[in-house]
Amino acid sequence: MANLRIEHLHKRYGATAVLNDVNLKIEDGEFVVLVGPSGCGKSTLLRMIAGLDGASGGDIHIADKLVNTLAPADRGIAMVFQSYALYPHMNVRKNMTFGLKFTGVPPAERERRVTEAARMLRLDELLGRYPRDLSGGQRQRVAIGRAIVREPAVFLFDEPLSNLDAALRVSTRVEIANLHRMLKSTIVYVTHDQVEAMTLADRIVVMNKGCIEQVGRPLDLYYAPANLFVAGFIGSPAMNFFEAKVAGVEGACARVDGPGFRSFDLPATSLKMGDTLTVGVRPEHLARREDGSFTVEGVVELVERLGESSFAYVRRADDRLFVAEVRGRQTPTPGERVALAAANRDVHVFDSSGLRVSSPTNT
Amino acid sequence: MPESVSNITAQMPRAKLAGLLLFFLGPAVAIYTLFSIYPLVATMALSTYTSDPSGARSFVGLANFKTLLGDALWSKPFWNALGNNLIFFAVHMCVQNPVGIALAGLLSLPGLRLRGFYRTVMFLPTMLSVVIVGFSWNLILSPLWGVAAGALKAVGLGSLFAPWLGLESSALVTLSLISVWQFVGIPMMLIYAALLNIPDELIDAARVDGLGQFRIFFHIKLPLVLPTISLVSVLTFVANFNAFDLIYSVKGALAGPNFATDILGTFFYRTFFGNQLQLGNPTMGSAVATVMFFIILLGLCLYLFFVQRRIRRYAF
Amino acid sequence: MTTEQRARSLGVHVVLIAYSLLAVGPILLVVMNSFKMRNAIFGSPLAPPDAATFSLIGYEKVFRSSHILTYYSNSLIVTLVSMALVLLFGAMAAWALTEYRFRGSTALALFLSIGIMVPIRLGSVAILNMMRSAGLNDTLTALILVYVAQGLPMSIFILSEFIQQIPKDLRDAARCDGVPETRIFFEVVAPLLRPAIATVAVFTIVPIWNDLWFPLILTSSDSTHTVTLGVQQFLGQYITDWNSVLAALSMAILPVVIIYVILSRQLIAGLTSGAVK
Repeated sequence: MANLRIEHLHKRYGATAVLNDVNLKIEDGEFVVLVGPSGCGKSTLLRMIAGLDGASGGDIHIADKLVNTLAPADRGIAMVFQSYALYPHMNVRKNMTFGLKFTGVPPAERERRVTEAARMLRLDELLGRYPRDLSGGQRQRVAIGRAIVREPAVFLFDEPLSNLDAALRVSTRVEIANLHRMLKSTIVYVTHDQVEAMTLADRIVVMNKGCIEQVGRPLDLYYAPANLFVAGFIGSPAMNFFEAKVAGVEGACARVDGPGFRSFDLPATSLKMGDTLTVGVRPEHLARREDGSFTVEGVVELVERLGESSFAYVRRADDRLFVAEVRGRQTPTPGERVALAAANRDVHVFDSSGLRVSSPTNT
Repeated sequence: MPESVSNITAQMPRAKLAGLLLFFLGPAVAIYTLFSIYPLVATMALSTYTSDPSGARSFVGLANFKTLLGDALWSKPFWNALGNNLIFFAVHMCVQNPVGIALAGLLSLPGLRLRGFYRTVMFLPTMLSVVIVGFSWNLILSPLWGVAAGALKAVGLGSLFAPWLGLESSALVTLSLISVWQFVGIPMMLIYAALLNIPDELIDAARVDGLGQFRIFFHIKLPLVLPTISLVSVLTFVANFNAFDLIYSVKGALAGPNFATDILGTFFYRTFFGNQLQLGNPTMGSAVATVMFFIILLGLCLYLFFVQRRIRRYAF
Repeated sequence: MTTEQRARSLGVHVVLIAYSLLAVGPILLVVMNSFKMRNAIFGSPLAPPDAATFSLIGYEKVFRSSHILTYYSNSLIVTLVSMALVLLFGAMAAWALTEYRFRGSTALALFLSIGIMVPIRLGSVAILNMMRSAGLNDTLTALILVYVAQGLPMSIFILSEFIQQIPKDLRDAARCDGVPETRIFFEVVAPLLRPAIATVAVFTIVPIWNDLWFPLILTSSDSTHTVTLGVQQFLGQYITDWNSVLAALSMAILPVVIIYVILSRQLIAGLTSGAVK
């Protein structure tokens, strides 16, 4: 078990910067998920922690030890790969013990660890089988088992669920969460799937274009995204964004106005008359209600019915579309004119550089 | 995204990396350099020397090449061998490749039965030694045995038979065709493999568009395997200008009748080792080998500059 | 199937069968007649041997007047040792070139690829001189060294393609597992290269077995001749003795054909695997 500290980490391939000044502290026993769109550098960061890719600058500490120049095997990590990376010519037992041979673990101890891990992962029956005879889910468990027997200080997972079908993905997700509860180990987990990130993580690290956009607990990211990128990335369907302007400043309040919605007041000190803003509201927070400070109107163009709720695609007067999630049986019909409102705390306002300003107060 | 090469070397201490490279690359590089590259270079160097009857060598610059290309005693057989070699190559290009393409096209037809059997049988001659193949054909075409004559007679073409291998006018083409017969398996297999790589959906799409098998072959498949065909042509070129075994085993070092089947390989061998008519001459042999090297190099350059560049490769 | 489709399929088979006959006919003819008496060879060349015409006289003569068994064992030794070394050294070099990034790796790869296009035969004069001065003239070792040098560039090229197809994660997983680099090659990568052996065999091993040039240049005594050279010399000597000639040819053909038929599936799979583009 160990903590992990990353300081000023840089990575360049030729002229392109893949990681740009990444700083991150992970506590002992914490489950941290790196999430972001493809190409954001999350996998590279993980591979650099593992020692599979070298850094162009910066330091990595594992258990307060600088590991920059250590080989992967000497860093106290174990990695689970997206493709599982099981040795095809070795059976399950051999797959799990192969690495231990080279790290000086005596045979009896190897045996004990394999038995233990096999029991934990329900692999007892499969120890003599070869990877080609295993299902996707079983291979996944073997890959995790191979990591467990190394008894690493830090577990690294690289998109471990993306090769599984939807049903298996959910059950394996639960298993990984249970595993973390039992082992209490430090885990760094890379995914592009925000549901995995939200459900598994103690803390989520949202990355974009080689930089960390925000680090925080899942619900903090959801309810208080620090910037436009995180706001748009977390949540599905994505948050609606509306262009807006500061129409007037009165004391500590700025009046926000824009096409297609009713203007509202914002407690903001630093805003000036004429500043451009972006207002963000999640589809699930828009409803037919009267108490909201943010109300937007339009004509329903298309309705997607999911059962528990429906997504209404609404066209505003300025011809932009936005999405609202409507719960219950009373689904809107196409052509219907609707006015939808959101509660104050669910309205997010971002300034022209994309940073969060605050939520509105009541008018 | 990470590159295809491992970045593991970045964290490795220099000494360790050097040790690994020495261990993995050392044997191959050593043997290859010592027994392949060094002899090539040494042979080229030797081509600028001459040796007197006592065996002492002296540097003569490009004199050997002057002799080879200027002295009628040398230049006549050289140009003859080069000309014959070009004919040998032309026959391969005009017969081996079209036949190979056609067979590959037939073999790759969807739903063909006995595909494996045909493939195995047709590739068989390619596996045999050129010496054996040459000699077998020598017997078959021999008027003494009369198999070929008999076969022609059976289909009413008996009058066409002639001792092709023995006639000055037909010996070279006959030998070329024997070589084609043996090696047609290579273009057939490589093109067949390329044809198999074309996604089925593409062919299905063409069928839905109303194209027949012939049009699909000429308009879809053939353009897509063009890179393979050009690769096969280069392989054929290098093999042809390096050929020796067939002529030597059927016709001997003198490449008769009257040098009608002499190609660069046999010319090189005669010059180097000598024969009934002349003594072996290693330095002139080296000169011939050097010229052959430049001919092959020229061919490769022409290919790289004029063919390779114009060929488009398509990703599926 | 419509009548038209049936006719077309029939036509395709007619062409393929005709070409198949052309491909194996000559070989069959030689092998068949090698088991016949001299007058039957000339009297009815196309007839298979029967009780009245069957004869092994040609084979007896070949065994009596040539060292055919020595030739076989020489060919076998040369080919097997060369194959083992070409595969081992080729795979090791291919691994280093594809896996490790180092200064000059591209130049080294180019240097090694010269041998694919430039035939080593052109260096024969110097090779003979070298072997003479090293005292290796007329030994199987000389042949093996030359064949390994000849086969390496192509085998490195082919094996590199195969190594690139092995998932990168596998090597990374081994590294995280603490497996030393040499063990990664020998215990993780090398076992997965087995399908490549067939491809390498077609392009480098078969030419070694069949080669005439280097045995002709580098070996001079019967005790070092390979099958190809031995049979070639035998044929030249007994050219008028048809029984012996056909028997000698058959003895050169049959082992290759038998091995080919047994391994043809793998060989053709190797050839069509797309590793050679």
